[in-house]
Amino acid sequence: MSKKLIEALVNLDEDSVLKEVKELKEKKVETPDIIAFLQEGMAGVGKKYESEEYFLSELIMSADIFKMATAILGESAKAAEYARKNGTFVLGTIYDDIHDIGKNIVASIMSANGFDVVDIGIDVPTAKFIEAIKLHKPQIVGISCLLTTAFDNIKEAIASIEKAGLRKDIKILIGGGTVDASTCKYVNADAFCKSAQEAVDVSKNYLKIA
Amino acid sequence: MSEDIRKLFDERLGRYQAAIAFEPVDRIPIAAGTNNFAETYAVANNQEVIYDPQKWLEGEIAFCRAFPEADVLRNNRFWAPLYDAVGLKIYKFPGRDLAPHVPTQFVERENMKADEYDVLISNPAEFMLERFLPRVFGEFDKGHTRTHFAFLKAGLAQGMMSEIMRNRSIQLQNQCGMPQPMTGAFLAPFDALGDALRGLEGILKDTFRQPDKVIQACDLLAPIMARFAIGIADPLRRYPIFVPTHKATFLSPKQFDRFYWPSLKKTLMIVINAGYKIRIYLEGDWSRHWHHFLELPKGTLVCDIDDPADNIFKAKEEIGHHQCIAGGIPSTLFILGSPQEMDDRVKILCEKAGKGGGYIISGGCYIPSNTRPENYRAMLDAVMKYGWYDRNITPKPLAPLPVKGETPVLGEKGVLTPWTVKKAELGDIPGEEDLIRKPWETIEALAFNWLWNWAL
Repeated sequence: MSKKLIEALVNLDEDSVLKEVKELKEKKVETPDIIAFLQEGMAGVGKKYESEEYFLSELIMSADIFKMATAILGESAKAAEYARKNGTFVLGTIYDDIHDIGKNIVASIMSANGFDVVDIGIDVPTAKFIEAIKLHKPQIVGISCLLTTAFDNIKEAIASIEKAGLRKDIKILIGGGTVDASTCKYVNADAFCKSAQEAVDVSKNYLKIA
Repeated sequence: MSEDIRKLFDERLGRYQAAIAFEPVDRIPIAAGTNNFAETYAVANNQEVIYDPQKWLEGEIAFCRAFPEADVLRNNRFWAPLYDAVGLKIYKFPGRDLAPHVPTQFVERENMKADEYDVLISNPAEFMLERFLPRVFGEFDKGHTRTHFAFLKAGLAQGMMSEIMRNRSIQLQNQCGMPQPMTGAFLAPFDALGDALRGLEGILKDTFRQPDKVIQACDLLAPIMARFAIGIADPLRRYPIFVPTHKATFLSPKQFDRFYWPSLKKTLMIVINAGYKIRIYLEGDWSRHWHHFLELPKGTLVCDIDDPADNIFKAKEEIGHHQCIAGGIPSTLFILGSPQEMDDRVKILCEKAGKGGGYIISGGCYIPSNTRPENYRAMLDAVMKYGWYDRNITPKPLAPLPVKGETPVLGEKGVLTPWTVKKAELGDIPGEEDLIRKPWETIEALAFNWLWNWAL
């Protein structure tokens, strides 16, 4: 266990994280173990976010450091990450809405927290959500939306997913600036998330992961 | 303008100004800064609003007549042909890139690279012309001739756009007695960098990897933003200048205090010293940051409080005695709520947020375009029931803020070709130098301002 690596990531000390990962790799520490340390670091960052010591900028920075660290480990990291995955998360921005910043942040934070993220893009029609659910069999589906004018589109997409008989095995999360509890009820989603970290927490909760 | 219309205009403007200045007033003003509902309530669809100024104006006039209790009106800010002239890539427009019923949307990309801070800081005009504009102007990819022509067209179209906005303002004033909630706009320097230049992820990573460069760039942008705003504001100084804020909600208080606030405060103070008040949209959750507004002179800002709408009560307590606050109705209530729920909400807002003045009823920075008309009507009716302070007062326009200081000059960083360079090119000047120099510098400064239009 590399406390040094975990702490460096929690403290967003980029240079130390990268140096430590290189050293562990040279010492022939197994890739899955290094990934485990990094994910523990990400969990520490999440805790700091929840206690409001960290904000979005720290989350984004941590995900970026995580990405650079796994890049050092090369191809083996992907397999190791996949083996340790918490679950599959299909994510897209609802049709008529082309905003991607929020969606991309959720994708990188979920990914750094051990989810296999399938990003199906922006302006996503219902048929594409359904196709992705059939193909990837996710446990969690995320629908991003920044426009109040697209509420009815989310409602339609969720109704169609349900009609296709795909709802019972998945939880649907919605998120985006204008989305709140009344939107969640209106569109019949399972939960709404105010932040990327909340998407991680709610998903882990659904999957009963501590 | 008829006498009745003039009276109506004066009452509305006076009511709005009194709330901002904490002066006695008859009732709470109904004064959303952005009313997207008004755009397409009547006459026009989203594409027509941005492409056909006549239809846009007709829609606004129809709105004013249907909802005469509203005290100010501002909605769309785009005239798309101006953007078409250069092929601007940072917006997607209804009817051109999107279905005609879909709203205009901003496309955030990295249009300035992480290693270009020094280029920006050493020569902002050259940075805009050589780096930023070629990345965001689609017409620049189509050969030399078309690039030059695009510049010419955009300069001419800018004049047309100003005329459209001036005409709207005059028509709304003369035909409907309707003032504007704000004219002229700028961005907080950190947002100017973070929106169209570096993008959210880029700027946030920069605060960790090259913090000093970010601060230097923000300091450089403060007077640029202030001059830009004042250049297009109401010359009579009746209306506040507008600043939306985008990235502050994502920053920790420590980061906000270091990266966001110092240059924003500088910009705000230049604008206030030039005799203007400011309407600032506190987008997202600003509750950790807004205490800073106590550092500015009392009654100089309207702070729009975003969703979650209950933040309005916290804002009332923490800054509402010093700066006017606006908001309190959740965006979703306009769309998904009922008239009774609206009535209940407005009653609470009038009692609590309205107490003692300095309050404007509104949604979270805007009124959504898909608002149910019966809910908007219920909001107006409820203010007429619960929003009164003193029916004996007839509001009148107030004198603007005094002008306290000169707007800072940018010197060689606010032009592309300084006079010294031009003078050397001209050689010996046989006549009076100042007659040539002054207009040269004025036009250079105007063109410099124009460059920033595309980053806002």
